[in-house]
Amino acid sequence: MQVDLSHLSKSFDDKTTVLSDICFHEDIRTLALIGPSGGGKSTLLRILGGLLLPTSGEVCIEGKNIGKCEKELMAYRHNVGFVFQQSGLFLHMSAIKNITLPLEKVYGYSVKEAEQRALALLDQFGLLDDQQKRPAELSGGQQQRIAIARAIAAKPKFLLLDEPTSALDPEYTNEVLDTIDILKKEGMNFIIVTHEMGFARHACEDLAFLYNGKLLEFGKSKTCFTAPKTAELSRFLSRLLEWNV
Amino acid sequence: MGHLFTEKRENKVKPYKAILNYFILCIILIIVFGVAIRNLGLQFDFSFVGKFRLRLWDGFKMTVLLSIVALFLSLLLGIVSAIGENSSLLLYRYLSKVYVKLIRGTPLIMQIYLFYYIIGTAFGIDNRFFSGVLILSVFEGAYISEIIRGSLLSIDETQLEAALAVGFTKGQTLRYVILPQLIARTLPALTGQFASIIKDSSLLSIISVIEMTQTIREISSTNFKLFECYIFLGILYLCLTLPISFISERFERRFRYAS
Repeated sequence: MQVDLSHLSKSFDDKTTVLSDICFHEDIRTLALIGPSGGGKSTLLRILGGLLLPTSGEVCIEGKNIGKCEKELMAYRHNVGFVFQQSGLFLHMSAIKNITLPLEKVYGYSVKEAEQRALALLDQFGLLDDQQKRPAELSGGQQQRIAIARAIAAKPKFLLLDEPTSALDPEYTNEVLDTIDILKKEGMNFIIVTHEMGFARHACEDLAFLYNGKLLEFGKSKTCFTAPKTAELSRFLSRLLEWNV
Repeated sequence: MGHLFTEKRENKVKPYKAILNYFILCIILIIVFGVAIRNLGLQFDFSFVGKFRLRLWDGFKMTVLLSIVALFLSLLLGIVSAIGENSSLLLYRYLSKVYVKLIRGTPLIMQIYLFYYIIGTAFGIDNRFFSGVLILSVFEGAYISEIIRGSLLSIDETQLEAALAVGFTKGQTLRYVILPQLIARTLPALTGQFASIIKDSSLLSIISVIEMTQTIREISSTNFKLFECYIFLGILYLCLTLPISFISERFERRFRYAS
């Protein structure tokens, strides 16, 4: 998947600069976006998902500009699956309704087709028994796996995940990461913002390091972990890995 | 023995415990009021209820009618004002803010006098029922506006982002995400507000709208049975408000998932 970001910047209220002059032209399949909190990772992911407009710069996916007006962005979002850190599921709907409603109302599936698609996904993720539960009745891990099922239900071209495990206990973290790994093996392209360094290193081909709104480093994950080019990444990794067994 | 009188907050109280404790509470209340009545040497005579039953029934119906019409009007005003507080049109936003602040910051009794005697007279509105409903609706609308505004604020930003991410249009987001959550959050408080409307409607007696309180005032001024009249009035209001508060609690339990 060819991702081209040209001079991408984002400021809030014309004061706080979150992203500054990001240029990125790479063909990626699975990318981990890492960096310290407040570095602009989530903002960048939202721009890539067409949920937020950049202050300046362009985003092109597969050579096509994603556009700036709501109509263009709406059409673009139909090709993207997005998973939020937490509470991304609609709280008042059952798990299955969370998946079927967008399929019916946005993608024009019939009620039966939507249900079949949702059941197939729930079955694949081992969540069939929980289909009628509302998010509040599900564990954090189950919620995130339903959110992933919803994000891929309409067969998007790629998936964006914004710290999908950062609100979870370790055991749930693994079940969510396993799910993403399965999707990867099925050929799904994704960009994930994560603090799970093991996952970034072993499950993602590429790695991008965002620091103070700037893209400081990009490369193959394995290389970045073993031989970081910048002092910032080196320091960031050593801090994160300090307490690892 | 002690376990008969205690239960942890998170547990459901067993029926026999609830009955026992309510029974004891009733006895305590009866003793307190019994002693008070005895010390005052009161003799109750509720015979007026039968004698004035038609007037009482009319007053009761008037209170219910006033409250229902005021509920709908105030809901309308509350929605319009809550939308206004989030509007980008400054005149509309400030009007909504000023309305809520002024009405919530002053007592209803002042508003009734002011609107009825000054504004009502100046604009030639002399229908008491019409004025009463209007004043009550304006008053309650400010509170309903705050209930709706609070619920809107409490909807998680991620819910709206998620709606965008799954591809919903603005209309679909409103219909499938915002409205269901808003209704779930406001319904318990709105039901409670309806009980307030019923009680607050009693103040319209000061502009002689012949509702329940005014009927009792008129009756008590002829038979001088103040205690009996007002005890009976209290019971009538409770007949209306207790079922409503019961419904409100049911809604609260039913929609707990939303918070």
